[in-house]
Amino acid sequence: MTGGSKKLLWAFGAALALALPWLISDRYIQHLLVTSLIFVIFASSWNLLTGYAGQFNLGHAAFFGIGAYASALLALKLGVPPWIGLFLGGLLAAAAGFLLGIPSLRLSGPYLAITTIGFAEILRLVAMNWVQLTRGSLGLYGIPPLPGFWGLEFTSELTFYYVALAGAALALFCFRRLTRSEFGLSLQALREDEPGAESIGVDTNRFKLTVFTISAFFGGFSGALLAHYQRLISPDLLSLHETFQALTMTIIGGLGTLTGPVVGAVLLTFLSEGLRFVEDAVKIDVRLIIYGALLIVTILFMRGGIVGLWERLSAGRGRDQEEG
Amino acid sequence: MRLLQTQKVTKYFGGLCALKEVSFNLEQGEVMGLIGPNGAGKTTLINIISGAFHPSQGKVVYHGRDISRLKAHQINVLGIARTFQVVRIFKRLTVLENVLTAMVDRSKEGPWKLVWGSFFKRVCAFKQDPEACATAEGLLASVGLLRYRDEQAENLPYAMAKRLEIARALATRPKLLLLDEPSSGLNPAEQNEQIKIIRQINEQGVTILIIEHVMKVIMDISHRLIVLHYGEKIAEGTPKEVYSDPLVVEAYLGGEAHA
Repeated sequence: MTGGSKKLLWAFGAALALALPWLISDRYIQHLLVTSLIFVIFASSWNLLTGYAGQFNLGHAAFFGIGAYASALLALKLGVPPWIGLFLGGLLAAAAGFLLGIPSLRLSGPYLAITTIGFAEILRLVAMNWVQLTRGSLGLYGIPPLPGFWGLEFTSELTFYYVALAGAALALFCFRRLTRSEFGLSLQALREDEPGAESIGVDTNRFKLTVFTISAFFGGFSGALLAHYQRLISPDLLSLHETFQALTMTIIGGLGTLTGPVVGAVLLTFLSEGLRFVEDAVKIDVRLIIYGALLIVTILFMRGGIVGLWERLSAGRGRDQEEG
Repeated sequence: MRLLQTQKVTKYFGGLCALKEVSFNLEQGEVMGLIGPNGAGKTTLINIISGAFHPSQGKVVYHGRDISRLKAHQINVLGIARTFQVVRIFKRLTVLENVLTAMVDRSKEGPWKLVWGSFFKRVCAFKQDPEACATAEGLLASVGLLRYRDEQAENLPYAMAKRLEIARALATRPKLLLLDEPSSGLNPAEQNEQIKIIRQINEQGVTILIIEHVMKVIMDISHRLIVLHYGEKIAEGTPKEVYSDPLVVEAYLGGEAHA
């Protein structure tokens, strides 16, 4: 693709993203768009840690939940303005990310995966059982919305869409910068070969802690956004299911690519809602079955996910044209 | 001038003694060959000098400083780079990116500084920095890899992958280069090419410690040799001296024909 047509595509994409909720007046679809955008951030943050830096984290829901609970509780108990809460939620998750990074200095692969699952499970149990603070499995409700300004209110799907869009754009901008710099190259070196990275002077321990912290910040930020959007959160946010959402979205979209989690998050959010109707009809939990099947098919036959497939196809077309 | 010195370096793996009181000096600018039968402890010695392992006893002194307790990345920053017996290139990065990653000045740029640089540096996207790319391309050209510049490293033929590892090590601007069997698995033409490359690196003032099984290579380029056998140094000297040392002939070449 030439530089000009790429720019045009970007402009078209941006215009579409801005106009979308006006083109679709159905509030239910608007709601799905907001959810997709929140998952774009969440899945991308997992992708930075696992897709780029190769740290197999299966406890990412912990950051989602910490961000959501922290921002909600700060607003409910201490009256902290939700706009500040979004970032405080991210910062608290970042602190947790730093802590969870410590075992990664000694563990990798499946061992790290199990440890991180344990971390998220412990937090889920705390959220379930610390009833005075979290109201347990009933969840927190009545979470204040993001305060409006300039006559805007952020209580409807339509207006919140733009908050989520701005958040996603900000996060993606950061991920783009981070992955294309020397920092991103160092992360990928760490993923590809740890002794090799050490041999060229990469302090792998410090890089692991750094990437855990950054990834957790954005995970927490997306959780906090969700809390002030839904205004009702439960310990389910901390469950393995949420981590698998990020994982499935990222792998089907394209692990270790910037656009992969974006494509995956939008696709799977809509797909899973579509399947809900099927489920009501057949009374079986087909969603998870289809998720699983998609994941297996992607891993076996489509490494690089949808984005990888697209790149291969367009590269093939380019070659054909050159030869033709 | 003395660049590196090992002082009675000993390494145990459990009850197994992999290295036993190995001492030698490395002078600035020389090519030192490290030979010995399989399992003699050659790679262990390189692993210890490069910081992958710490010695059980003894010291490694570099520029008058004890480095035996430093970590691998710290030792690289001090000016010691290495290659591996089994190539450890970054497979899913391009050839150019492999070298660019190694060029980052790690003594100044920790991870948080690089994060900052991702947003506020003059050239944020590293691949768009013309100066860095020119330096990297120069390094690739010196090992004959320039035409593979944008190839994924995993697609490189084995001989090219070995050269990429050398270019990546050089990108960290080392004073001492540790080469662990740079010619293993190469055909004779590729071996000759490898000899040429290693000699050029040495001519630019880089001191080299090289493990090699291919006799032609080691005899050709080493100024001096040390011979390890069961973890002990049994001989040291010029290739000629070592080659005719009866101890070496017995230990290394045994009764069989010369390699």
